[in-house]
Amino acid sequence: MNVHDHSLDPKPVVELLGIEKSFPGVRALHNAHFDLRRGEVHALMGENGAGKSTLMKVLTGVYQPDAGEIRVDDAVVAMHSPQLAQGMGISIIHQELFLMNHLTAAQNIFIGREPRRGMGLFVDEAKMKADAAAIFRRMKVDIDPAGEVGEMTVARQQLVEIAKALSYEARVLVMDEPTSALNGTEVEHLFEIIRDLKAQGVGIVYITHKMDEVKRIADRITVMRDGEFIETLPAAETPMSTVISLMVGRELTDHTRASGAGAGEEVLRVSGLNRGSIIRDVSFALRKGEILGFAGLMGAGRTEVARAVFGADPVDAGEIRVHGKPCRIASPRDAVARGIAYLSEDRKHFGLVTGMSVRDNITMASWTRFTQNRIWMKDGALAEVAKEYVARLKVKTPTIAQETRLLSGGNQQKVVIAKWLLRDCDILIFDEPTRGIDVGAKSEIYEMLKELARQGKAIIVISSELEEILRLSQRILVMCEGRITGEIDGATATQESIMTLATQRDSEAA
Amino acid sequence: MTETTLAPAAPEKTGFLTVATLQKAVAFVVLILLLGFFSLFAPNFAQWSNMVNIMQATAVNGVLGVAVTFVIISAGIDLSVGTMMTLTAVIAGLILTNAGLPLPFGVVGAMLFGGFMGAISGACIAKLKIPPFIATLGMMQIARGLALVFSGAKPIYFNDTPSYYYISSGSVITRLIPGLEVPNGVLVMFGVAIAAAVILNRSILGRYIFALGSNEEAARLSGVNVDMWKIVTYGLSGLICGVGGLLISSRLNSAQPALGLGYELDAIAAAVIGGTSLSGGRGTILGTIIGAFIMSVLTNGLRVMGVQEEWKIVITGIIIIAAVYVDTVLRKKA
Amino acid sequence: MKKTLIASVVALASTTMLCAPAMAQETYFPIIAKGFSHQFWQAVKLGAESAAERNGVSITFEGPNTEAEIDKQTDILNAAIAKKPQGLGFAALDSQAQVPALQKAADAGIPIVAFDSGVESDLPLTTCTTDNMAAAAAGADGLAKAIGEEGEVAAVIHDQTSATGIGRRDGFLNRLAEAYPNITVVDVQYANDALKATETIKAILQAHPNLKGIFASNEGAAIGLAVALKETGSGIVGVGFDSGKTQKDAVRAGELLGSITQNPVGIGECVVDSLAKALAGETLPTTIDTGFYWYDATNMDSPEIAAVLYD
Repeated sequence: MNVHDHSLDPKPVVELLGIEKSFPGVRALHNAHFDLRRGEVHALMGENGAGKSTLMKVLTGVYQPDAGEIRVDDAVVAMHSPQLAQGMGISIIHQELFLMNHLTAAQNIFIGREPRRGMGLFVDEAKMKADAAAIFRRMKVDIDPAGEVGEMTVARQQLVEIAKALSYEARVLVMDEPTSALNGTEVEHLFEIIRDLKAQGVGIVYITHKMDEVKRIADRITVMRDGEFIETLPAAETPMSTVISLMVGRELTDHTRASGAGAGEEVLRVSGLNRGSIIRDVSFALRKGEILGFAGLMGAGRTEVARAVFGADPVDAGEIRVHGKPCRIASPRDAVARGIAYLSEDRKHFGLVTGMSVRDNITMASWTRFTQNRIWMKDGALAEVAKEYVARLKVKTPTIAQETRLLSGGNQQKVVIAKWLLRDCDILIFDEPTRGIDVGAKSEIYEMLKELARQGKAIIVISSELEEILRLSQRILVMCEGRITGEIDGATATQESIMTLATQRDSEAA
Repeated sequence: MTETTLAPAAPEKTGFLTVATLQKAVAFVVLILLLGFFSLFAPNFAQWSNMVNIMQATAVNGVLGVAVTFVIISAGIDLSVGTMMTLTAVIAGLILTNAGLPLPFGVVGAMLFGGFMGAISGACIAKLKIPPFIATLGMMQIARGLALVFSGAKPIYFNDTPSYYYISSGSVITRLIPGLEVPNGVLVMFGVAIAAAVILNRSILGRYIFALGSNEEAARLSGVNVDMWKIVTYGLSGLICGVGGLLISSRLNSAQPALGLGYELDAIAAAVIGGTSLSGGRGTILGTIIGAFIMSVLTNGLRVMGVQEEWKIVITGIIIIAAVYVDTVLRKKA
Repeated sequence: MKKTLIASVVALASTTMLCAPAMAQETYFPIIAKGFSHQFWQAVKLGAESAAERNGVSITFEGPNTEAEIDKQTDILNAAIAKKPQGLGFAALDSQAQVPALQKAADAGIPIVAFDSGVESDLPLTTCTTDNMAAAAAGADGLAKAIGEEGEVAAVIHDQTSATGIGRRDGFLNRLAEAYPNITVVDVQYANDALKATETIKAILQAHPNLKGIFASNEGAAIGLAVALKETGSGIVGVGFDSGKTQKDAVRAGELLGSITQNPVGIGECVVDSLAKALAGETLPTTIDTGFYWYDATNMDSPEIAAVLYD
């Protein structure tokens, strides 16, 4: 499977030397090095905030370095704009795609440099479509150049982005977490395309957190930590535990596994939940003091079940009992009133009001409790309770007046948790609780979840990281195509047993 | 500002000049500069009597600006404030002149009617999911049409209620402090502004307005009754328009049903010059009042200088763009 | 409120339908004004309606919301022509822009009578109008005499582009320039509503402490003048234009020296009478001056004047 081309051209296409970059109040890059050869896949690894994205933005002309050298084909270049970088054949595919949904694939690929006809007055749509089709053929993908991008799956949109990069005669392609929104088959397809590009001599910078992917696709690995270059290693000979310890700067301790349903009383029972083909006859129960894991592939319907239980989306059928009593949950307000909280993976959009302070975010769901005559805010009391929760959950923030957008991912997550604890919610649904959170801060969040369960909260954890599910859950429910395909005890579950259930599609189940 | 450590940024310790105060300070500095400029170049500008003129000229726009500030901070917009002001003035006329009821009925009636109509805008936005721009554009026409229908397209005079004139004109302060002639309308504006600032900063409504404006979805998922608070916000805007309607009709001693179109844009301009963000989540009442003062100082000063109305309009436009540009620059620096 | 609303909508709809020329035999004249919310237009409408009754014809009276909406007025005009009326009364918001639309009416053989302000073409059979230049000159005379024919004066004009605004401004300024060499005009400003006129006049008073008189060119400007003089307690001489309750009260109380009134009722009568005459085959003069009056506290209650003043 591994295609390690050893006839690599040892001379780098691009080289970054001694790059320094500071932003007000923070040093993002210090003495950062990186080089990329023709036809190699070079993985760039590090925790969140290690400086990977910043370094790539320097390479692609988005940021100007404070000091250091950028060399392209051995010549020093002042990379002052992304346009310049693209002109030199250096393209980046961001984690969040930058496509115009209402335009076609071909229009997106050639945006800003459309072929013209009729004295340059009209866009030559036919030529544009033909050119786009040629690129797709070269990539061996079947995408209609005239199809609207907004109608395509994320995986296909990503292929359009890659095609766009190739249309610039890309020699260097930076891919930032390209598989984060792809399913298994789609990942395989992407890897094939990467191998083809390699064979054509394109150098690829591959930014990821996923060790198995690196093992399979990368030729070399460069590890960064705290904005600094740590080491560049050959991928084939380096054990992944070494890479991880270089990334975190310490050895990871192994963890204990939980098991059993817990003896606590049943706090939530969902029966016969249905919503079109997205949620199909989902039933489960949750007990006090337990952590229930929801595993499955992207799009299996886990988030949708959580949102339905929380009243954020309507359902076609289903009964929800909280503490044994059947209840109608038509809105998040109803859910919160019954002690159910939902902590979205997308904290910036659904969890936090990022422009407001730590104090306001922690207390937001409880504001009505802190008023005089139901009108005037008791700001003193708010500050006191916010301080108490900041201390309890060890939220790292200079003051409670700090805007939450300035906090790290882990601390933002703690603020959201604090919000629901203060609101006396005893059923907590975590959707990807450590998405976008550093490796170091992750274990702190894990400990916090376990502690909350010990204190008697009932917790659901939805996660795409099997390791996370295995580490936290006492019981694991696996979903596929909107159905629950099985339940596994946390102590006996393995990655394989989960994956089997997660891919148990309708045809196979029958 | 450029300390090069890896410690998390601590913007609170960068001095007393945070962006918010800097923005307010900028608007204030512009106001002072304008006053200084006109004092030097416009003869007879710098007199107490003219300052009274300016304050009085700010009253209506200031009050409407406050109304629209609430809505803009909640990430909405209210295009109906101008004609809503006219409609509430007509309502006051119907109550006081046509029905002959005592003054308090007219005052309370006008404000409540404004609040009611505002709440209808809010309900269209919250329940029918009509974009605020469209809903209040519709309400702007509805209010304008109703003002003409209710008044029979004729001005309604307040000659039967002589005390009505004192809502805007005359001066309570002069009686307390002889010589300090600040017209009542100006006191009403400052009263509305102070009440609004307290509501915005101290009440639960104010807190929800900021939350809605910054991230409505997060507020909804926090269990906030988003629909209700939107209706209350637009209702409050309408209520304050009612105060504007009382001020203008008291000043003219008549409810002029054809007036009011275009006043909403002045109100929005005052809010924007004062640093309120049209994308929501950010803004202050003090800023809006300063913005309204900048506009009326500019107008008054240019008129005293004898500059033509046409150029006054051009210069106001330039000031709006400049204010938002300065705001953007400050925001980037932060 | 809901019920009243529905009731008024139904009432409105039924009147419109009744007024529509359903019967071809009946003589029908659409009268298109520059607006309808201003009191002036209500008085014109009154005159037109009484003349319609006298001549046994039916009319409709329409206009755009504001006097800036030339395009809306053109739409109304086109709709009226489409009804194939026997005659058409039209007060053009723009003396040139609407000529092509009027040409359509002329081509269809519909007699046209212009009113209030003229149209720069020979399409209308006649124009019923106030001579705005002459009327404003009379205002200038009144103002000049009251200040002893010397000193500083200013004018606040309601609009810088319309024929009435330009005519009244120039009539006032020309008369002063010709007949009163010792009077200086220190400022001419524009304000299109009562509140803006108030602020404008206060700024003028501030800038020119020696000012002796101000001329305001329509009802809105005159209200602003009355309010500004009251608020500042200034004793200078104010002269207005048109009527309306605020202005009349101010004249009666001596706060304004006097004002010029047109004869809106006469204009309305003139339009309908002229159309009726045209149908009867009479020839009409190119313009019919419907007249204007100077009024002040001494003569405003005389029957002749009181008849053309409106609240």
